[in-house]
Amino acid sequence: MTARHRTARFLHHHPAAQVLTVFAFWLLGEAVTRLGGIPLPGGIIGLGLLLFLLIMRRISSLSIRRGAGWFLSDMLLFFVPAVLAVLDHPELFGLTGLKILFVILTSTALVMLATAFTVDRCWKYLGHREASGHA
Amino acid sequence: MPESLIHILLWSSLTIGFYWLSKRIYRRWPRWWLMPLAVTPLLLMMVVVSFHESYRDYIDGTHWLVLLLGPATVAFAIPIYEQRGLIRRHWPVLLVGMLVGSVVSILSSWGLAALVGLDGAIRLSLLPRSVSTPFAMEVSGEIGGIPDLTAVFVVITGIAGAVLGDLILARFRIATALARGSLFGLGAHGAGTARAHQIGATEGAVAGLVMVLVGLLNVLAAPLVALLPG
Repeated sequence: MTARHRTARFLHHHPAAQVLTVFAFWLLGEAVTRLGGIPLPGGIIGLGLLLFLLIMRRISSLSIRRGAGWFLSDMLLFFVPAVLAVLDHPELFGLTGLKILFVILTSTALVMLATAFTVDRCWKYLGHREASGHA
Repeated sequence: MPESLIHILLWSSLTIGFYWLSKRIYRRWPRWWLMPLAVTPLLLMMVVVSFHESYRDYIDGTHWLVLLLGPATVAFAIPIYEQRGLIRRHWPVLLVGMLVGSVVSILSSWGLAALVGLDGAIRLSLLPRSVSTPFAMEVSGEIGGIPDLTAVFVVITGIAGAVLGDLILARFRIATALARGSLFGLGAHGAGTARAHQIGATEGAVAGLVMVLVGLLNVLAAPLVALLPG
């Protein structure tokens, strides 16, 4: 059994080690962007690198999917603290807040309608006659 | 114990505790106004205000949680990889949908903000709000918005989008699962994706995929968006 196999087996059985692996990819991405002066967040570089290794079959998705799932399933928690920034923006509780709400509601509805109709239209245009039901 | 350590322990455990609690409540009563995304910040705000603490004190103790958005971005490699069959089969349709959706999102936010007289940093902070969290705050800083404000707008968009998406599906004939998934993934990021998963497996997979790819697309397009005046 090679060292790579041993590492893979260890990771398959230790979700906590998978979480650390995801973390390590992020640190690596941060290091690359800082040292190389790349104007992208380190997380994106880490994502690209991990995706590349998965596609090239250098890493099995089993070695990382539980760790990744841990970050993704509770991602909302990570930006709850940023939401409290409204406390520093009392203007949001007045007329400005209502205006912002109007922009968000209208724009979100427009985005959803435009996206859904475009995708349906494209689907038909590309010659899928069985348009209803599953995609 | 130094005071900063007490701050970190206190505010972090309150944040995680409220989040955990509101998740359990939502699982029991899945109403839109009970979404953890809405309830957790509200509970925390009440505590911060009633203890006469400031946002500074609070964020000093919880900033490490926001930093975890970095590794969370890396974790998106897994859903992209696992949905590669979906990408291979439908990439032209998905690509056109994402381009149209992103352009409508940015231009309609900008135009509507101008219409009601919102300008400067607030208008710019509104532009990336349809994109999922880690990406939205990044883009916001890039184009001259305030990342904290964008986080607030992302949350409102998520809650509004999950509700609006249901209304749209009820009123309009959206024929394909591909379109229904894209609608939620593009319009309401993580919150929309969660809703799409409840509608169907394909809808959920498409929504998750579209959410990630649109986030990436927006980060890459941020220098272009930065050309819009504030």
